Amino acid sequence: MAALESETNNGTGKLEFSLDVPFPSSREAIIALQSLSPDREPRKGGISKQLTVSGSTLSVRWSADEARILRVSVNSFLDHLSLVLETMEMFGPPVSQ
Amino acid sequence: MTVVLGFEGSANKIGVGIIRDGEVLSNPRRTYITPPGQGFLPSDTARHHRAVILTVLKEALEQAGLKPADIDCVAYTKGPGMGAPLVTVALVARTVAQLWGKPLLGVNHCIGHIEMGRLITNANNPTVLYVSGGNTQVIAYSERRYRIFGETIDIAVGNCLDRFARVIKISNDPSPGYNIEQMAKKGSQYVELPYTVKGMDVSFSGILSYIEETLFSMLVEITERAMAHCGSQEVLIVGGVGCNLRLQEMMGVMCKERGAKLFATDERFCIDNGAMIAQAGWEMFRSGQVTELEDSWITQRYRTDEVEVTWRD
Repeated sequence: MAALESETNNGTGKLEFSLDVPFPSSREAIIALQSLSPDREPRKGGISKQLTVSGSTLSVRWSADEARILRVSVNSFLDHLSLVLETMEMFGPPVSQ
Repeated sequence: MTVVLGFEGSANKIGVGIIRDGEVLSNPRRTYITPPGQGFLPSDTARHHRAVILTVLKEALEQAGLKPADIDCVAYTKGPGMGAPLVTVALVARTVAQLWGKPLLGVNHCIGHIEMGRLITNANNPTVLYVSGGNTQVIAYSERRYRIFGETIDIAVGNCLDRFARVIKISNDPSPGYNIEQMAKKGSQYVELPYTVKGMDVSFSGILSYIEETLFSMLVEITERAMAHCGSQEVLIVGGVGCNLRLQEMMGVMCKERGAKLFATDERFCIDNGAMIAQAGWEMFRSGQVTELEDSWITQRYRTDEVEVTWRD
């Protein structure tokens, strides 16, 4: 369900990681976005991430100072994403608005 | 008629409960129990919750005989508590709220305990002693806030008991506190140990060899002081340590001396559970509160008096 690109160093000295997750519909991508975005990163510094939806794809972009910090955040996110997907599978599809 | 579904998972218990206008329709719960001598860590606890939460949610609906369409509002614990488990639970709550098209409500865990205690016991306006593994507070309601009159200046009384259990390797099944209580019943020798009450507050760290008598006497004293301050004739004990019958007994003696009434609930409701979050959510929802998704972040620190109690006068 996911397409991954590995980390690159684009000259800012920061590690970048991007993840694109396709959903069956735009509505479901937005539901995932709104479930996954409210909580702050537990680690205050050295990592930031941005979540966006385009069409029916959820995109996540990370920027980190160190590979170790990046790994922890991405790992955590994938765990959370899989819980959201499992929930959507068990209790979806979303009701008509 | 208002039906609220509540999720709770701030420590090692994961519960989902459904309340309809003061009636508990279902309240299933699972506990993450570690081997003797070990406490529970946030990441392991979160993993435990993640593995069972959807099953427990299904159970809650099935036991209540309801479908998602029957739910009016989804409540969840916003805080306080352990970060990773709180996030796990919040993710599911946010997702089902959106899937089912229902409003979301972030609830303060301590207020969940208070509102459940009020519902079950029908206490009118009690002085509340909230005692658990994570919290120790004496609370009284005044002008739209649950005011914290006194609290631990370091660790919670339940934390002290749990750590004591760990040191002497008492089983954590069903909970370390329960097993301490059973062993304490067989004890006959009282050992004099330092007694640390400081006005309205108490201190528990550094005294890990305490037995129940001294800890609970301290709690009775600060509760009595708050009652005198507020002119209150009712005491309500909530939180996991509130299950302890010896604590209830000692509090009862103090209440009798003052002509006051003591209220407590059984282990279904004093131990963390989903229905208490649903109950606090029911009160909040009916008084017009709702949590927008972008404000639904969880927080490890969340004081009881930060919440505007819009549902009481």
